[in-house]
Amino acid sequence: MTYFRAVDPYPLESADHNKLAEFYRRLAEGRLSTTRCAGCGRTSWPPRGFCPECVSDGVEWVDLPSEGTVHAFTVQDAGLPAGFASPRVFAIVKVGGHRVFSVLLDADPARVSVGQRVRLRPLRVDDEPKGAPRWLPAFTPADDGARA
Amino acid sequence: MKPVALVGAGVTKFGVRKATYRDLIWEAGKACFDSVPALKPRDLDGLVVGSVMPERTAFQSHVASLAAEALGIRPSTLSARTEHMCASGTVGIRYAYAFIAAGLADLVMVLGVETLNQPSGDEAILNMGTGVDREWEAAFGLTAPPCFALAAQRHMAEYGTTEEQLALVGVKNHNHAAKNPNAHFNKGATVDQVLGSRMISTPLRLFMCSPITDGAAAIILAGEERARELTDAPVWIRGTGQALDGFQLTSLDEDYARWPALARAAQSAYRMAGIGARDVDLAEVHDCFSIAELIAYEELGFCAKGEAGAFVAAGRSDYGGDVVVNPRGGLIGCGHPLGATGVAQAAEVYAQLRGEAGARQVPDAAIGLTHNNSGMGEHVVMIYGR
Repeated sequence: MTYFRAVDPYPLESADHNKLAEFYRRLAEGRLSTTRCAGCGRTSWPPRGFCPECVSDGVEWVDLPSEGTVHAFTVQDAGLPAGFASPRVFAIVKVGGHRVFSVLLDADPARVSVGQRVRLRPLRVDDEPKGAPRWLPAFTPADDGARA
Repeated sequence: MKPVALVGAGVTKFGVRKATYRDLIWEAGKACFDSVPALKPRDLDGLVVGSVMPERTAFQSHVASLAAEALGIRPSTLSARTEHMCASGTVGIRYAYAFIAAGLADLVMVLGVETLNQPSGDEAILNMGTGVDREWEAAFGLTAPPCFALAAQRHMAEYGTTEEQLALVGVKNHNHAAKNPNAHFNKGATVDQVLGSRMISTPLRLFMCSPITDGAAAIILAGEERARELTDAPVWIRGTGQALDGFQLTSLDEDYARWPALARAAQSAYRMAGIGARDVDLAEVHDCFSIAELIAYEELGFCAKGEAGAFVAAGRSDYGGDVVVNPRGGLIGCGHPLGATGVAQAAEVYAQLRGEAGARQVPDAAIGLTHNNSGMGEHVVMIYGR
């Protein structure tokens, strides 16, 4: 079927479509990164193309730690959008001083807790319509042992 | 600034409607014009339409003009559509208010409309993801329930709020909706029913959540002179405030049980109206989820931070209490057709302050407040008086 943007839940990540493509290129290598403003040195999450503090659009890419802790979470059992399976563990993960919104993969919903250590586990999702692979910055319990 | 009043209001039946987008515009417009027999559509000089996603649900943009034509309104001062997710209706009311208060318009309809139900329920939920950040939130499957669940988890951990207290908001609003023939749900609910309903996103259960609903509502705003010509009982806009903490979840206060933007919006509105929280007789607050109503009690100043669970449990937000919250049935009981919600809240306040709310009438209601939000970080408050 012809590609329709209106039913694709994922961002177009490749450099053909997205000026933050470097984020996704690093993510495919297992690195969590973000932007640092070349003007004032402020690091943002998520990455951004324009600094609201000093109004610079100069951007440097910096890697964040690949481990963090659960700041808050909820387990959604019902009412997920089409294409997303339940139960799904949504979490706010503290990483390098930033709060990152994500999901916890391969986590027992009954054992997730605030303060739990988690680590980055890039999640491969559907390819772009022209075939470029796509990834999202997901996490998994750090003590789980399982690693993609 | 010139005084501005509500002079008419009408609401459709909310629910899973067998109706098109235009059908609901016709219904709400007809109900609103029927409430002001002296007016004909051609008398209005402006129209604002609050609507979030007709591009997804009806494959239709350009909806303010569509609605004007459907209703026979020929705008000469103001024609606009407002999209601000769940607060689109109240944001539209603020536009109409500002135009009239500035003398740029005199008689403006604000109409909110949404047809969220689709032949595929999966698509209806998928569409709701357009209200959160596509690249950094919705791509993970996020919609509203987990956002507010984070707030509920935090409120329970920090203040000892219980599942039963969360359930009591659902009970109250379902029972209020049972007296509102336009509500999505009319059967009422018990604590056992709410606590026994299926888990949506921990700790929020089905009867603590607003459903996917179709509906529309319309009100007419007028400048002072015109308002006094049209009715003996205008309902005046006394105050308004809007404030924003952030869009993405990770931009909000780290403590998801605190909504500083709501407190700021409320303070702006109270200051403008020259009143305080204790003067409010009834409040239509944005209970998209039961936790939202509890946090609204606190940020609006009806009770202290952390005391909302006890406040609802003591009946202080129900008839006979400090302030009647959501006499219409709220979003939990009436449903939440996004753009229509803020306008339907205003229509309820209009009926209440005129003593026309029937079985739902709050005795001697003189001051009514509405609170509409778009996510946990963006809030709009209106205060109305007789």
